[in-house]
Amino acid sequence: MKYFIAACLLIGASLGAQAASDDDMWQALQKTAVAARALSYQGIFVCQSGKQTKSVQITHMFTDKGEFSRNVLLDGTPRQLLSQGSDLVIYNQKNEKVVIEKRHGQNMFPAVLPTNLESIRANYALHIGDAERIADRQAQIYLLESKDGLRYSYKLWVDSEYGLLLKSVLLNSHNEVIESIAFNQVALMQVGGLDWFRPKIDSKKNYVMEDEVPTSADTGVVNAWSIKELPAGYRKVDQMIRMVHGKTLPVTHIVFSDGMAYVSLFIEPANLKTKASTKATQAVVGNTSYYMNVTDGYQITVVGEVPEITAAQIGNAVIFNK
Amino acid sequence: MSEQISALIDDEIAIEDAAYLITMLQSSKKVAEAWSQYHLIGDSMRGDNNLSANFKQNLMQKIDLEPTVLAPNATLGGSGEGFKLHHKVPASWSIAASVAAVMVVGWMALHQTTQVANGLVADAQSESVTSAIPAEYLLAHQTTAPSGSAYYIQTVSYSK
Repeated sequence: MKYFIAACLLIGASLGAQAASDDDMWQALQKTAVAARALSYQGIFVCQSGKQTKSVQITHMFTDKGEFSRNVLLDGTPRQLLSQGSDLVIYNQKNEKVVIEKRHGQNMFPAVLPTNLESIRANYALHIGDAERIADRQAQIYLLESKDGLRYSYKLWVDSEYGLLLKSVLLNSHNEVIESIAFNQVALMQVGGLDWFRPKIDSKKNYVMEDEVPTSADTGVVNAWSIKELPAGYRKVDQMIRMVHGKTLPVTHIVFSDGMAYVSLFIEPANLKTKASTKATQAVVGNTSYYMNVTDGYQITVVGEVPEITAAQIGNAVIFNK
Repeated sequence: MSEQISALIDDEIAIEDAAYLITMLQSSKKVAEAWSQYHLIGDSMRGDNNLSANFKQNLMQKIDLEPTVLAPNATLGGSGEGFKLHHKVPASWSIAASVAAVMVVGWMALHQTTQVANGLVADAQSESVTSAIPAEYLLAHQTTAPSGSAYYIQTVSYSK
Protein backbone atom coordinates (compact mmCIF):
# COMPACT_ATOMS: atom_id res chain seq x y z
CA MET A 1 0.00 0.00 0.00
CA LYS A 2 2.86 2.34 0.93
CA TYR A 3 4.49 1.64 -2.38
CA PHE A 4 1.23 2.17 -4.21
CA ILE A 5 0.80 5.65 -2.67
CA ALA A 6 4.41 6.50 -3.43
CA ALA A 7 3.92 5.36 -7.01
CA CYS A 8 0.73 7.42 -7.30
CA LEU A 9 2.53 10.48 -5.96
CA LEU A 10 5.40 9.98 -8.39
CA ILE A 11 3.05 9.63 -11.34
CA GLY A 12 1.08 12.63 -10.14
CA ALA A 13 4.25 14.68 -9.78
CA SER A 14 5.53 13.73 -13.22
CA LEU A 15 2.13 14.46 -14.77
CA GLY A 16 2.15 17.84 -13.05
CA ALA A 17 5.61 18.60 -14.40
CA GLN A 18 4.53 17.49 -17.85
CA ALA A 19 1.45 19.72 -17.73
CA ALA A 20 3.49 22.74 -16.65
CA SER A 21 6.04 22.32 -19.41
CA ASP A 22 3.23 21.74 -21.92
CA ASP A 23 1.69 25.04 -20.84
CA ASP A 24 5.09 26.70 -21.11
CA MET A 25 5.47 25.41 -24.65
CA TRP A 26 2.04 26.65 -25.69
CA GLN A 27 2.86 29.97 -24.10
CA ALA A 28 6.03 30.15 -26.19
CA LEU A 29 3.92 29.44 -29.27
CA GLN A 30 1.46 32.13 -28.23
CA LYS A 31 4.40 34.55 -28.05
CA THR A 32 5.37 33.47 -31.58
CA ALA A 33 1.85 34.13 -32.88
CA VAL A 34 1.92 37.65 -31.42
CA ALA A 35 5.58 38.41 -32.31
CA ALA A 36 4.97 38.05 -36.06
CA ARG A 37 2.26 40.73 -35.85
CA ALA A 38 3.54 43.05 -33.12
CA LEU A 39 7.25 43.25 -33.99
CA SER A 40 8.74 45.43 -36.73
CA TYR A 41 11.24 43.62 -38.88
CA GLN A 42 12.66 43.23 -42.34
CA GLY A 43 14.33 40.35 -44.03
CA ILE A 44 14.37 37.88 -46.88
CA PHE A 45 12.71 34.50 -46.70
CA VAL A 46 12.72 31.61 -49.12
CA CYS A 47 9.56 29.77 -49.92
CA GLN A 48 9.64 26.25 -51.33
CA SER A 49 6.78 24.13 -52.57
CA GLY A 50 6.99 21.29 -55.04
CA LYS A 51 9.81 22.06 -57.46
CA GLN A 52 9.44 25.81 -57.11
CA THR A 53 11.48 28.16 -54.94
CA LYS A 54 10.86 31.88 -54.49
CA SER A 55 12.71 34.49 -52.46
CA VAL A 56 10.61 37.16 -50.82
CA GLN A 57 11.71 40.44 -49.26
CA ILE A 58 9.50 41.36 -46.32
CA THR A 59 9.15 44.65 -44.48
CA HIS A 60 6.75 44.49 -41.55
CA MET A 61 5.95 47.36 -39.22
CA PHE A 62 3.61 47.59 -36.28
CA THR A 63 2.67 51.20 -35.60
CA ASP A 64 -0.02 52.95 -33.59
CA LYS A 65 -2.09 52.81 -36.78
CA GLY A 66 -1.84 49.02 -36.96
CA GLU A 67 0.07 46.43 -38.91
CA PHE A 68 1.69 47.19 -42.26
CA SER A 69 3.55 44.75 -44.44
CA ARG A 70 5.13 44.77 -47.88
CA ASN A 71 6.28 41.52 -49.46
CA VAL A 72 8.21 41.72 -52.73
CA LEU A 73 8.95 38.62 -54.77
CA LEU A 74 12.59 38.68 -55.79
CA ASP A 75 12.52 35.72 -58.20
CA GLY A 76 10.57 35.22 -61.39
CA THR A 77 7.65 37.40 -62.48
CA PRO A 78 7.43 40.55 -60.33
CA ARG A 79 4.75 40.37 -57.67
CA GLN A 80 4.21 42.62 -54.68
CA LEU A 81 1.90 42.13 -51.73
CA LEU A 82 0.93 45.06 -49.53
CA SER A 83 -1.15 44.42 -46.48
CA GLN A 84 -2.69 46.60 -43.84
CA GLY A 85 -4.17 44.46 -41.10
CA SER A 86 -5.91 41.64 -42.95
CA ASP A 87 -6.57 43.72 -46.08
CA LEU A 88 -4.20 42.54 -48.76
CA VAL A 89 -3.54 44.13 -52.15
CA ILE A 90 -1.47 42.12 -54.64
CA TYR A 91 0.26 43.72 -57.64
CA ASN A 92 0.58 40.79 -59.96
CA GLN A 93 2.49 41.35 -63.19
CA LYS A 94 1.02 39.52 -66.16
CA ASN A 95 2.83 40.19 -69.41
CA GLU A 96 2.28 43.87 -70.27
CA LYS A 97 -0.13 44.50 -67.41
CA VAL A 98 -0.06 44.64 -63.67
CA VAL A 99 -3.28 43.23 -62.23
CA ILE A 100 -4.29 44.65 -58.87
CA GLU A 101 -5.95 41.95 -56.78
CA LYS A 102 -7.66 42.44 -53.43
CA ARG A 103 -7.58 39.64 -50.92
CA HIS A 104 -8.21 38.86 -47.32
CA GLY A 105 -4.77 37.93 -45.95
CA GLN A 106 -4.53 35.13 -43.41
CA ASN A 107 -1.73 32.98 -41.98
CA MET A 108 0.93 34.81 -44.01
CA PHE A 109 4.47 33.84 -43.04
CA PRO A 110 5.81 34.50 -40.41
CA ALA A 111 2.31 35.01 -38.94
CA VAL A 112 1.27 31.43 -39.74
CA LEU A 113 -0.14 30.82 -36.27
CA PRO A 114 -3.47 32.40 -35.35
CA THR A 115 -3.40 34.46 -32.14
CA ASN A 116 -6.10 32.24 -30.67
CA LEU A 117 -4.44 28.83 -30.32
CA GLU A 118 -7.45 27.06 -28.83
CA SER A 119 -8.46 25.01 -31.88
CA ILE A 120 -4.83 24.26 -32.65
CA ARG A 121 -4.34 22.98 -29.13
CA ALA A 122 -7.29 20.66 -29.61
CA ASN A 123 -5.97 19.17 -32.85
CA TYR A 124 -2.19 19.21 -32.57
CA ALA A 125 0.26 17.94 -29.95
CA LEU A 126 3.23 20.20 -29.20
CA HIS A 127 6.74 18.83 -28.70
CA ILE A 128 9.97 20.69 -28.08
CA GLY A 129 12.98 19.86 -30.26
CA ASP A 130 16.63 20.89 -30.55
CA ALA A 131 18.10 24.35 -30.78
CA GLU A 132 19.36 25.41 -34.21
CA ARG A 133 20.79 28.48 -35.90
CA ILE A 134 18.58 29.99 -38.63
CA ALA A 135 19.31 33.26 -40.49
CA ASP A 136 22.08 34.11 -37.99
CA ARG A 137 19.61 33.80 -35.12
CA GLN A 138 19.41 31.21 -32.35
CA ALA A 139 16.21 29.21 -32.76
CA GLN A 140 14.25 26.67 -30.73
CA ILE A 141 12.51 23.94 -32.70
CA TYR A 142 8.90 23.00 -31.91
CA LEU A 143 6.95 20.21 -33.52
CA LEU A 144 3.23 20.79 -33.96
CA GLU A 145 2.17 17.23 -34.54
CA SER A 146 -1.19 16.19 -35.99
CA LYS A 147 -3.06 14.15 -33.37
CA ASP A 148 -5.08 12.13 -35.85
CA GLY A 149 -3.70 12.13 -39.39
CA LEU A 150 -6.52 14.41 -40.56
CA ARG A 151 -4.06 17.30 -40.96
CA TYR A 152 -0.39 17.77 -41.71
CA SER A 153 2.25 18.40 -39.02
CA TYR A 154 4.44 21.51 -38.73
CA LYS A 155 8.02 21.92 -37.62
CA LEU A 156 8.59 25.46 -36.38
CA TRP A 157 11.87 27.26 -35.69
CA VAL A 158 11.27 30.06 -33.19
CA ASP A 159 13.71 32.88 -32.38
CA SER A 160 14.92 32.16 -28.84
CA GLU A 161 15.03 35.84 -27.95
CA TYR A 162 12.15 37.56 -29.75
CA GLY A 163 9.83 34.63 -30.37
CA LEU A 164 9.58 35.43 -34.08
CA LEU A 165 8.97 32.45 -36.35
CA LEU A 166 12.14 31.97 -38.42
CA LYS A 167 11.27 28.83 -40.33
CA SER A 168 8.18 26.71 -40.92
CA VAL A 169 8.08 23.30 -42.55
CA LEU A 170 4.99 21.29 -43.45
CA LEU A 171 5.32 17.51 -43.01
CA ASN A 172 3.07 14.78 -44.39
CA SER A 173 2.25 11.55 -42.57
CA HIS A 174 5.51 9.99 -43.81
CA ASN A 175 7.45 12.88 -42.25
CA GLU A 176 8.38 14.17 -45.71
CA VAL A 177 8.75 17.92 -46.21
CA ILE A 178 6.00 19.12 -48.55
CA GLU A 179 6.45 22.86 -48.04
CA SER A 180 9.08 25.05 -46.43
CA ILE A 181 9.33 28.77 -45.69
CA ALA A 182 12.45 30.11 -43.95
CA PHE A 183 14.20 33.40 -43.35
CA ASN A 184 17.65 33.74 -44.92
CA GLN A 185 18.20 36.97 -43.08
CA VAL A 186 16.06 38.96 -40.72
CA ALA A 187 16.53 41.99 -38.49
CA LEU A 188 14.32 43.99 -36.23
CA MET A 189 13.79 47.56 -37.33
CA GLN A 190 12.83 50.86 -35.75
CA VAL A 191 9.22 51.87 -35.99
CA GLY A 192 9.24 54.93 -38.21
CA GLY A 193 7.51 56.47 -41.19
CA LEU A 194 5.57 54.49 -43.75
CA ASP A 195 7.37 55.87 -46.84
CA TRP A 196 8.26 52.30 -47.76
CA PHE A 197 4.60 51.22 -47.70
CA ARG A 198 3.94 51.71 -51.41
CA PRO A 199 4.43 49.47 -54.40
CA LYS A 200 7.33 49.97 -56.78
CA ILE A 201 5.68 51.31 -59.91
CA ASP A 202 6.68 50.26 -63.39
CA SER A 203 5.66 53.21 -65.54
CA LYS A 204 5.79 51.06 -68.70
CA LYS A 205 2.98 48.81 -67.48
CA ASN A 206 -0.75 49.30 -67.37
CA TYR A 207 -2.33 48.86 -63.97
CA VAL A 208 -5.77 47.27 -64.00
CA MET A 209 -8.10 46.02 -61.30
CA GLU A 210 -8.78 42.29 -61.34
CA ASP A 211 -12.21 41.28 -62.67
CA GLU A 212 -14.16 40.64 -59.53
CA VAL A 213 -15.60 37.16 -59.34
CA PRO A 214 -19.27 37.64 -58.54
CA THR A 215 -19.97 36.16 -55.14
CA SER A 216 -22.90 36.43 -52.80
CA ALA A 217 -23.49 35.34 -49.26
CA ASP A 218 -25.10 31.92 -48.98
CA THR A 219 -27.60 31.61 -46.18
CA GLY A 220 -27.95 27.90 -46.89
CA VAL A 221 -31.68 27.93 -46.10
CA VAL A 222 -33.09 26.44 -49.29
CA ASN A 223 -30.27 24.05 -50.19
CA ALA A 224 -31.06 20.50 -51.25
CA TRP A 225 -28.15 19.26 -49.19
CA SER A 226 -26.73 19.53 -45.69
CA ILE A 227 -23.35 18.81 -44.16
CA LYS A 228 -23.07 16.02 -41.63
CA GLU A 229 -20.07 14.93 -39.56
CA LEU A 230 -17.03 16.87 -40.63
CA PRO A 231 -13.55 15.45 -39.94
CA ALA A 232 -12.63 16.12 -36.30
CA GLY A 233 -11.44 19.64 -35.56
CA TYR A 234 -12.62 21.23 -38.80
CA ARG A 235 -15.29 23.90 -38.80
CA LYS A 236 -16.89 26.11 -41.42
CA VAL A 237 -15.20 29.50 -41.72
CA ASP A 238 -16.82 30.85 -44.89
CA GLN A 239 -19.68 30.10 -47.26
CA MET A 240 -20.61 31.82 -50.51
CA ILE A 241 -22.16 31.37 -53.92
CA ARG A 242 -19.68 32.19 -56.65
CA MET A 243 -18.84 31.78 -60.29
CA VAL A 244 -16.02 29.37 -61.11
CA HIS A 245 -14.08 29.84 -64.33
CA GLY A 246 -15.49 27.73 -67.14
CA LYS A 247 -18.78 26.99 -65.35
CA THR A 248 -22.04 28.48 -66.53
CA LEU A 249 -23.94 27.96 -63.28
CA PRO A 250 -22.98 29.43 -59.90
CA VAL A 251 -21.25 27.12 -57.44
CA THR A 252 -21.65 26.94 -53.67
CA HIS A 253 -18.20 27.37 -52.09
CA ILE A 254 -17.68 26.49 -48.41
CA VAL A 255 -14.32 26.89 -46.62
CA PHE A 256 -13.36 24.76 -43.61
CA SER A 257 -10.38 25.19 -41.32
CA ASP A 258 -8.84 23.70 -38.18
CA GLY A 259 -6.97 26.96 -37.51
CA MET A 260 -3.92 26.05 -39.60
CA ALA A 261 -5.13 24.17 -42.68
CA TYR A 262 -7.81 25.34 -45.13
CA VAL A 263 -10.09 23.21 -47.35
CA SER A 264 -12.63 24.30 -49.94
CA LEU A 265 -15.80 22.37 -50.75
CA PHE A 266 -17.63 23.13 -53.99
CA ILE A 267 -21.18 21.92 -54.63
CA GLU A 268 -22.90 22.37 -58.00
CA PRO A 269 -25.49 20.64 -60.18
CA ALA A 270 -23.68 17.88 -62.07
CA ASN A 271 -22.97 18.20 -65.76
CA LEU A 272 -24.81 15.56 -67.79
CA LYS A 273 -21.52 14.34 -69.27
CA THR A 274 -19.89 13.72 -65.89
CA LYS A 275 -22.96 11.88 -64.65
CA ALA A 276 -21.81 8.69 -66.33
CA SER A 277 -18.70 8.35 -64.16
CA THR A 278 -20.01 7.73 -60.67
CA LYS A 279 -16.62 6.75 -59.29
CA ALA A 280 -14.94 9.22 -56.94
CA THR A 281 -11.72 10.81 -58.20
CA GLN A 282 -8.81 11.63 -55.90
CA ALA A 283 -5.37 13.18 -56.32
CA VAL A 284 -2.59 14.57 -54.16
CA VAL A 285 -0.11 17.04 -55.62
CA GLY A 286 2.49 18.47 -53.24
CA ASN A 287 0.59 19.78 -50.24
CA THR A 288 -2.79 19.90 -52.01
CA SER A 289 -5.42 17.17 -52.05
CA TYR A 290 -8.30 16.89 -54.47
CA TYR A 291 -11.49 14.85 -54.26
CA MET A 292 -14.39 14.78 -56.71
CA ASN A 293 -17.60 12.77 -56.67
CA VAL A 294 -21.02 12.91 -58.30
CA THR A 295 -24.06 11.96 -56.22
CA ASP A 296 -27.77 12.66 -56.56
CA GLY A 297 -27.21 14.89 -59.56
CA TYR A 298 -24.66 17.08 -57.80
CA GLN A 299 -20.94 17.35 -58.32
CA ILE A 300 -18.91 17.63 -55.12
CA THR A 301 -15.34 18.89 -55.34
CA VAL A 302 -12.89 19.30 -52.46
CA VAL A 303 -9.52 21.10 -52.72
CA GLY A 304 -7.21 21.96 -49.84
CA GLU A 305 -3.87 21.73 -48.09
CA VAL A 306 -4.91 18.64 -46.12
CA PRO A 307 -4.30 14.86 -46.34
CA GLU A 308 -6.46 13.09 -48.92
CA ILE A 309 -8.46 11.29 -46.21
CA THR A 310 -9.65 14.68 -44.90
CA ALA A 311 -10.65 15.80 -48.40
CA ALA A 312 -12.62 12.56 -48.90
CA GLN A 313 -14.32 12.87 -45.48
CA ILE A 314 -15.43 16.41 -46.26
CA GLY A 315 -16.73 15.28 -49.65
CA ASN A 316 -18.66 12.44 -48.03
CA ALA A 317 -20.10 14.72 -45.33
CA VAL A 318 -22.47 16.24 -47.89
CA ILE A 319 -25.87 14.57 -47.51
CA PHE A 320 -28.76 15.17 -49.90
CA ASN A 321 -32.22 15.63 -48.48
CA LYS A 322 -34.63 13.30 -50.20
CA MET B 1 9.23 63.09 -63.87
CA SER B 2 7.17 60.17 -62.48
CA GLU B 3 8.51 60.87 -58.99
CA GLN B 4 7.37 64.46 -59.23
CA ILE B 5 3.90 63.36 -60.33
CA SER B 6 3.74 60.98 -57.40
CA ALA B 7 4.80 63.81 -55.10
CA LEU B 8 2.13 66.07 -56.55
CA ILE B 9 -0.56 63.45 -55.91
CA ASP B 10 0.69 63.04 -52.35
CA ASP B 11 0.50 66.82 -51.80
CA GLU B 12 4.25 66.99 -51.39
CA ILE B 13 4.53 69.69 -54.05
CA ALA B 14 2.57 72.90 -53.64
CA ILE B 15 0.12 73.46 -56.45
CA GLU B 16 1.66 76.88 -57.02
CA ASP B 17 5.01 75.22 -57.81
CA ALA B 18 3.51 72.62 -60.11
CA ALA B 19 2.74 74.75 -63.14
CA TYR B 20 5.44 72.94 -65.13
CA LEU B 21 4.05 69.51 -64.18
CA ILE B 22 0.52 70.51 -65.04
CA THR B 23 1.65 71.74 -68.45
CA MET B 24 3.35 68.38 -68.96
CA LEU B 25 0.14 66.61 -67.93
CA GLN B 26 -1.73 68.46 -70.62
CA SER B 27 0.83 67.99 -73.36
CA SER B 28 2.43 64.58 -72.76
CA LYS B 29 0.30 61.48 -73.11
CA LYS B 30 2.86 59.46 -71.14
CA VAL B 31 2.78 61.81 -68.19
CA ALA B 32 -0.99 61.91 -68.21
CA GLU B 33 -1.08 58.10 -68.16
CA ALA B 34 1.27 58.02 -65.19
CA TRP B 35 -0.99 60.51 -63.43
CA SER B 36 -4.08 58.37 -63.89
CA GLN B 37 -2.29 55.14 -62.98
CA TYR B 38 -0.91 56.60 -59.74
CA HIS B 39 -4.40 57.68 -58.81
CA LEU B 40 -5.79 54.22 -59.47
CA ILE B 41 -3.00 52.65 -57.40
CA GLY B 42 -3.59 55.13 -54.60
CA ASP B 43 -7.33 54.49 -54.66
CA SER B 44 -6.92 50.75 -54.52
CA MET B 45 -4.45 50.98 -51.61
CA ARG B 46 -6.80 53.21 -49.68
CA GLY B 47 -9.62 50.81 -50.42
CA ASP B 48 -11.68 53.36 -52.32
CA ASN B 49 -14.13 51.87 -54.73
CA ASN B 50 -13.65 52.53 -58.39
CA LEU B 51 -15.98 54.83 -60.16
CA SER B 52 -18.99 52.95 -61.39
CA ALA B 53 -18.86 51.83 -65.00
CA ASN B 54 -21.39 54.40 -66.16
CA PHE B 55 -19.95 57.24 -64.09
CA LYS B 56 -19.12 59.29 -67.16
CA GLN B 57 -22.62 58.96 -68.65
CA ASN B 58 -24.24 59.82 -65.31
CA LEU B 59 -21.98 62.82 -64.89
CA MET B 60 -22.70 64.03 -68.40
CA GLN B 61 -26.45 63.64 -67.83
CA LYS B 62 -26.22 65.64 -64.60
CA ILE B 63 -24.27 68.36 -66.39
CA ASP B 64 -26.89 68.50 -69.16
CA LEU B 65 -29.61 68.92 -66.54
CA GLU B 66 -27.79 71.78 -64.81
CA PRO B 67 -28.94 75.24 -65.89
CA THR B 68 -26.22 77.23 -67.60
CA VAL B 69 -25.01 79.97 -65.25
CA LEU B 70 -23.73 82.89 -67.23
CA ALA B 71 -22.04 84.61 -64.29
CA PRO B 72 -20.51 81.82 -62.19
CA ASN B 73 -18.45 84.12 -59.95
CA ALA B 74 -21.55 85.89 -58.74
CA THR B 75 -23.06 82.67 -57.40
CA LEU B 76 -19.79 81.69 -55.72
CA GLY B 77 -19.46 85.07 -54.06
CA GLY B 78 -22.07 84.21 -51.46
CA SER B 79 -20.09 81.46 -49.73
CA GLY B 80 -17.01 83.32 -48.54
CA GLU B 81 -14.51 80.52 -48.10
CA GLY B 82 -15.26 78.68 -51.30
CA PHE B 83 -14.79 81.93 -53.12
CA LYS B 84 -11.31 82.54 -51.67
CA LEU B 85 -10.21 78.97 -52.35
CA HIS B 86 -11.40 79.22 -55.90
CA HIS B 87 -9.17 82.23 -56.45
CA LYS B 88 -6.09 80.66 -54.87
CA VAL B 89 -6.10 77.80 -57.35
CA PRO B 90 -4.53 78.77 -60.66
CA ALA B 91 -6.88 78.50 -63.61
CA SER B 92 -4.55 76.06 -65.35
CA TRP B 93 -4.83 73.73 -62.37
CA SER B 94 -8.57 73.28 -62.54
CA ILE B 95 -8.37 72.68 -66.28
CA ALA B 96 -5.61 70.13 -65.77
CA ALA B 97 -7.58 68.42 -63.04
CA SER B 98 -10.66 68.07 -65.20
CA VAL B 99 -8.54 66.81 -68.09
CA ALA B 100 -7.00 64.25 -65.79
CA ALA B 101 -10.39 63.19 -64.44
CA VAL B 102 -11.67 62.56 -67.96
CA MET B 103 -8.45 60.70 -68.76
CA VAL B 104 -8.96 58.40 -65.76
CA VAL B 105 -12.54 57.66 -66.70
CA GLY B 106 -11.67 57.11 -70.35
CA TRP B 107 -8.70 54.96 -69.48
CA MET B 108 -10.70 52.80 -67.10
CA ALA B 109 -13.61 52.42 -69.48
CA LEU B 110 -11.18 51.37 -72.19
CA HIS B 111 -9.65 48.71 -69.99
CA GLN B 112 -12.96 47.39 -68.80
CA THR B 113 -14.10 46.78 -72.35
CA THR B 114 -10.84 45.15 -73.47
CA GLN B 115 -10.91 42.82 -70.48
CA VAL B 116 -14.38 41.60 -71.31
CA ALA B 117 -13.54 41.25 -74.99
CA ASN B 118 -10.38 39.21 -74.49
CA GLY B 119 -11.86 36.85 -71.94
CA LEU B 120 -9.65 34.55 -69.93
CA VAL B 121 -6.91 32.31 -71.23
CA ALA B 122 -5.08 29.76 -69.10
CA ASP B 123 -1.55 30.89 -68.31
CA ALA B 124 1.23 28.91 -69.96
CA GLN B 125 3.54 29.26 -66.96
CA SER B 126 1.28 27.26 -64.67
CA GLU B 127 2.91 24.21 -63.16
CA SER B 128 1.89 20.62 -63.73
CA VAL B 129 -0.51 20.70 -60.77
CA THR B 130 -3.23 21.63 -63.22
CA SER B 131 -3.10 18.23 -64.86
CA ALA B 132 -4.16 16.43 -61.68
CA ILE B 133 -6.32 19.06 -60.00
CA PRO B 134 -8.75 21.09 -62.12
CA ALA B 135 -7.27 24.58 -62.28
CA GLU B 136 -10.58 26.39 -61.84
CA TYR B 137 -11.21 24.87 -58.40
CA LEU B 138 -7.60 25.23 -57.27
CA LEU B 139 -7.69 28.89 -58.25
CA ALA B 140 -11.01 29.48 -56.50
CA HIS B 141 -9.64 27.82 -53.36
CA GLN B 142 -6.36 29.75 -53.39
CA THR B 143 -8.14 33.03 -54.04
CA THR B 144 -10.55 32.64 -51.13
CA ALA B 145 -8.35 30.78 -48.64
CA PRO B 146 -4.70 31.35 -49.51
CA SER B 147 -2.12 29.98 -47.09
CA GLY B 148 1.58 29.19 -46.83
CA SER B 149 3.42 29.37 -50.12
CA ALA B 150 0.26 29.96 -52.19
CA TYR B 151 0.82 33.72 -51.81
CA TYR B 152 4.13 33.50 -53.64
CA ILE B 153 4.14 30.33 -55.71
CA GLN B 154 1.27 30.32 -58.13
CA THR B 155 0.64 26.79 -59.20
CA VAL B 156 -2.21 27.99 -61.33
CA SER B 157 -3.29 31.32 -62.71
CA TYR B 158 -5.40 32.81 -65.41
CA SER B 159 -4.16 35.82 -67.31
CA LYS B 160 -5.83 38.20 -69.64
